[in-house]
Amino acid sequence: MDSSLCQAYKDEIQSLEEEIRLLAEKYEDNQQESISFSDEEILMSINSFQKEFQKQSGGHEFPSDLKAQLESLETDLSFLMKFTGIQFTSHSKKTMEKTRNRTVQKHRLSGNCHSLSFELEFQLLETQTKDSVSAVITDLSIMMESGEDSDLSKFVSSTEEHGNLLTFFRSLSSYAEWHEHRRCTFLHFK
Amino acid sequence: GVFAHLEMLEARAREADLKQTAMEQRKEQLARLEARVQELRQQRDELRAKVELQEQGAEKEGVMSDPAQHSAQAVLEWKIRKVKSTLQVFYLTGISGKLSKQGVCFCISTAYEGTYLDSYYLNLLTEPQVRIHRHSIPVFIPLEQIAKKYLQTDIRRFLSILSDHLNAYVGRRYQADQLQEHFSDRIEGTMQRNSLCNLLVFNYNPSSKSKTFPFNARLLYGDLCCSLPTEVVVSCAPAAPAALAETAAAHSDLFRRLALHKAFGSFGSARECVD
Repeated sequence: MDSSLCQAYKDEIQSLEEEIRLLAEKYEDNQQESISFSDEEILMSINSFQKEFQKQSGGHEFPSDLKAQLESLETDLSFLMKFTGIQFTSHSKKTMEKTRNRTVQKHRLSGNCHSLSFELEFQLLETQTKDSVSAVITDLSIMMESGEDSDLSKFVSSTEEHGNLLTFFRSLSSYAEWHEHRRCTFLHFK
Repeated sequence: GVFAHLEMLEARAREADLKQTAMEQRKEQLARLEARVQELRQQRDELRAKVELQEQGAEKEGVMSDPAQHSAQAVLEWKIRKVKSTLQVFYLTGISGKLSKQGVCFCISTAYEGTYLDSYYLNLLTEPQVRIHRHSIPVFIPLEQIAKKYLQTDIRRFLSILSDHLNAYVGRRYQADQLQEHFSDRIEGTMQRNSLCNLLVFNYNPSSKSKTFPFNARLLYGDLCCSLPTEVVVSCAPAAPAALAETAAAHSDLFRRLALHKAFGSFGSARECVD
């Protein structure tokens, strides 16, 4: 009787710790997703952050780690946008569900590839198995001005139907380049 | 006599003592565990209330946060998380990467429809010329051929073609895996396939209720950038009835047009036995 009570307490402790961990993550996610800072505010923070720590630690290097980290990440991002031609102008996500093994997030993404602009919404389901994380896209919705181009609108709806986000981006790149080339050629002849 | 008796009494007393101590220890342990449970329950309840408050507050859309409330460090951390999150989206586009001191490390991701599958990395050095330093591309993908043709002149094209190969390979493998996993009762044993997954051979029965596998299928994917076969041969025994031969021809056409696991999915579950 004693030892089963002991075990019951231990089980409850484990499940409570798990629950607390998930709640804390949820709190962090909600904070991250609901607030927004402008570029100026961020710049101001970078400056005041540097001053704060230079005062405290007499000019030590290490607290600028955050600034260096941010710079490195932004350099990577701007390289990728330049290299692939895909520019993201806005991105927001909301965590819909989060359990130990499963996370579902709803993403809203807008941007352009050369002169073609797009707006996407999709749900991303990530499942943790023992070796890896698997990712599946559902409820993909693509908004693109495809006006005159029936091939493009056919492509967009077939991509939406199968959740083919990867194919969309890969094809977008090559289509946009061709489209841009064609546009420039027409302008040249005007 | 007396001594033996005394020893026995001593032993009994020690035993009783030990039992008493053990019982007290157990009591203490239970008390500690109980206290810990209470502490965690309270922590959990407080967090729950905090999150609920957050979610109620979030119903008012477009509430901008007052930057003065947040420390400079918190703002920076927020921004870092945001940039990381956008970088993660690049993973979904198929080409992502990270700059390094001597070049770039690209990550090529693959997917079949909405399911993301393996990703491969390619570490490029840029000085004195662009060259491949390290990579995780499987050996049966013609990396050197593609690099020889495009790496020096057009890196984007090089990556795009490599991505085509990888996505097609992963797509073919996915179809074969799905077939093996979800329709194993309609296939005889394990299907034969090569590492590039561009040659598949198996015996099958479109109906799941039969014990014989009258059809043999041989699928050749001649275009390495494509996940549909270029050549399909479906055959049955030479003495088989004409109806079977017709079905074989129909399937041959089907496998050329439809992904393998979807083709099997279209056979349905309540078909007449093909014997």
